[in-house]
Amino acid sequence: MMQEREDPKFEQWLQDAARTTYHAPSTTPREEMWSRIEAERRHKRVIVLRPWLRWAVAAAAVLVLGIGIGRWSTTRTPGPRVANEIDSLSSVAYQVAATQYLSRTEAFLTSFRADANRSANTARLARQARDLLTTTQLMLDSPAGDNPRLRSLLEDLELVLMQISLLNPLQDGHDRDLITQGMNQSNVLPKLRSAIPAGPVPVRTEGAL
Amino acid sequence: MDESTLIARVRAGDSAAERTLYDAHVDRVYRLAFRLAGDDALAQDFTQETFIRAFDRLGSFRGDAAFSTWLHTITTTVVLNGLRKVKRFRQREADIDDAHDIGVAQRQAEPDLKVRLKQAIDDLPEGYRTVFLMHDVEGYTHEEIGAALGVETGTSKAQLSRARAKLRVALSDFAGEWVQ
Repeated sequence: MMQEREDPKFEQWLQDAARTTYHAPSTTPREEMWSRIEAERRHKRVIVLRPWLRWAVAAAAVLVLGIGIGRWSTTRTPGPRVANEIDSLSSVAYQVAATQYLSRTEAFLTSFRADANRSANTARLARQARDLLTTTQLMLDSPAGDNPRLRSLLEDLELVLMQISLLNPLQDGHDRDLITQGMNQSNVLPKLRSAIPAGPVPVRTEGAL
Repeated sequence: MDESTLIARVRAGDSAAERTLYDAHVDRVYRLAFRLAGDDALAQDFTQETFIRAFDRLGSFRGDAAFSTWLHTITTTVVLNGLRKVKRFRQREADIDDAHDIGVAQRQAEPDLKVRLKQAIDDLPEGYRTVFLMHDVEGYTHEEIGAALGVETGTSKAQLSRARAKLRVALSDFAGEWVQ
């Protein structure tokens, strides 16, 4: 293994320079963050799935696809009991799809809020927001929208995405600030993140359920 | 009140204890998040998410290591995963816009130390950059870094050494400032 040469003078100079110039934080906004943490924890009512259950849900989603293909390829009409099972499994598949969509939306809104290179990207952001808005409206009309918690989140997202999709590239500074303020006040990003637990996308279902 | 008593009270649902625990650790978490993210909104998001996760999962904290070590493991996971998502998203957009070479030409011509240092640190591989910022900038020990990132102490030391070597090369134009 290559051993790097030590140079205490360089190391000291580098530390001093980096500490004072590289992403130097200002005062911690502790009250602001605490009020959002409290609000989020008050509203958080997630049904936590144990790992084996996540896999079971993912497996159920795969099963739904299989049943869907089977139903598609046969002309036989299922009896009422089979139809109910299919409906129930379809609902799980919609919720898995919802979680994947929420991950994309989270990345988009995080980038929107953090994007320093503002007006240059407005047209692109508006276009992406329109795409996500279409999906949001489809999700609201799907069985995923039957879950009250998910529905409330989707409605918040619909509003934010609608506002971004209507941004005017020529005069968007003030509008963007208003959208960002609205996002902060409605806690939409923390809510979105709490609906997307860590883990590979296909099994990120706990927050969506 | 010692920390283990405080943690027991948080587990019992004492909201005042939650706030005390938050106050004791928030500065260090926020500072690390800001150093890694370089953006106040992101740093606030990551800090919030760290504490929300920590409070939700406090039941799984066994006390084998210090609470701060456990908390910084959550912090680095939240921040690095969050940054990867943002980076992937931005990269995809840059590919779509075919604008990925912006900034490279400027870097060569930029004489300002602050800008060159930022670019050099940003260009480090993620592991080197994280260890460098945690150790040399925020003052974490190699033991703390190893625990937070789930790597051996020796790996942390080796990554720091390589990070410094890369930075030394990238900043060689400024050698006069440290060779005195």
